[in-house]
Amino acid sequence: MTVASQVRQTLASLKGVQGNLRIYSTQTQDDETVSIYKEALETTEAVINDLEKRVQVLEFQEPQYEGN
Amino acid sequence: MQLGLQILYRSIGLFILVLVAIRILGKINIARVPSYKLVSYYAIATIAVLISVNIIKDVALGLIALGVWVLFPVLLDYLSLRSKLLHDLINGKETVLIKHGKIMEENLKQIRLTGEELLSELRSKNAFNLMDVEFAVMETTGEINVYLKSDKEPVSGHDLGIMTAPQTEPQTVILDGNALNESMASLGLNKEWLHIQLENMGVSLDNVFLGQVDSSGDLYIDLFDDAIELPQAKVKEMIYANMEKAEASLTTFALETEDDSAKAMYEKNAKKLKHLMAKLYPCLLR
Repeated sequence: MTVASQVRQTLASLKGVQGNLRIYSTQTQDDETVSIYKEALETTEAVINDLEKRVQVLEFQEPQYEGN
Repeated sequence: MQLGLQILYRSIGLFILVLVAIRILGKINIARVPSYKLVSYYAIATIAVLISVNIIKDVALGLIALGVWVLFPVLLDYLSLRSKLLHDLINGKETVLIKHGKIMEENLKQIRLTGEELLSELRSKNAFNLMDVEFAVMETTGEINVYLKSDKEPVSGHDLGIMTAPQTEPQTVILDGNALNESMASLGLNKEWLHIQLENMGVSLDNVFLGQVDSSGDLYIDLFDDAIELPQAKVKEMIYANMEKAEASLTTFALETEDDSAKAMYEKNAKKLKHLMAKLYPCLLR
C-alpha cells in the first residue's frame, strides 16, 4: 500500500467519525454536550482539510498509483 | 326498599364527594402525612360512612362536619406557608438524634424512642455501624434521615475528579407495541424516524414492549420475544475507536515522512485529535 492510499484510508475513517458526530450533535438533548460535539466537528473538519491537501501533494508525487 | 335506595344514593354521592375532598387535601405520600392531616383523613372517612349508612340522618348536618374537616387542614396549610412560627406550631420541629457521631440521649427520651428502635431505623437506612453515622434527624413526619461520615458516603464522579457528560431524563417512546407520539414530539422526533430506527434493528413495532430514547438520542428497546438477540449499537464506542486509530496513523505518518512541513502538519493534527478525544471521552464512553 502506498503512502497516499494509507493517508486516504485515514481520511475516510475520519470522515466516518465526522458523520457520526454530526448525527449526535443534532439528536443530543443536552446543550452542553451539543456544544462539545459542534466543537469536535470543527476540529475534525480542520484535520480533514489538512489531510486532503496532503493527499493531493502525495498523488502528484506518485502519479502512477493515482486512485489506488 | 325506600331506605335501601336512600342508602345507595347517599353512598354514591358521598363517594364522589370524598374523592373530591381528598383531592383538595392535596398530593401527599400516605406514609409521610403530618399527624393533623391523618386525623382529618380518618374523620372524613368516618363522617362519610356515618352519613351513608344513615346513622347521621340529616345530610346537611353531616356535610357541615365534613366541610370543616376538609377545609381546616387546607387552611392550616396556607397559614403554615405564610408563617414559620405557625408552621412549627402545627407541624412540630424535627429532632436531632445523632450529632457529630454522638447519640443525643435527651432528645431520644423526649420523643420516646428506644436505642433498639434507633438502631433498627439506622439499619433501614443502610447504616449498620453507628460509627459511620455523622448526623441523624427525625423529621416531623417521624421518618429518620441519616447523613454518613464523609469517608463512608458513596463515591461520586466529583469525588474521583472524573468529568461525566450531563444527561437529561430518557423519554419513553414505545409502550406495549404503540408509538407514543407526544413524547416523541417533545424530542423533535416523529414516526418516520422511529420506523427507520426499528428497520435498522430489524424488528417490527408490534414486537416492542418498551422503547426509550436517552439524552444522546439513541433508541433502546425491549422486545416481547426475548429469544431474539438485538445487535447492541456501539456507535459511540466506534467513533472513539476510529478517532484513536486515526490519531495513531497520523503519528506514524509524521514519523515516516521526510517532508518537514508535512511532518509538522501530521504532528499538529495528531495533537488536535488527542485533545479532542480527551474532551469527548465523557460523552462517548460514559
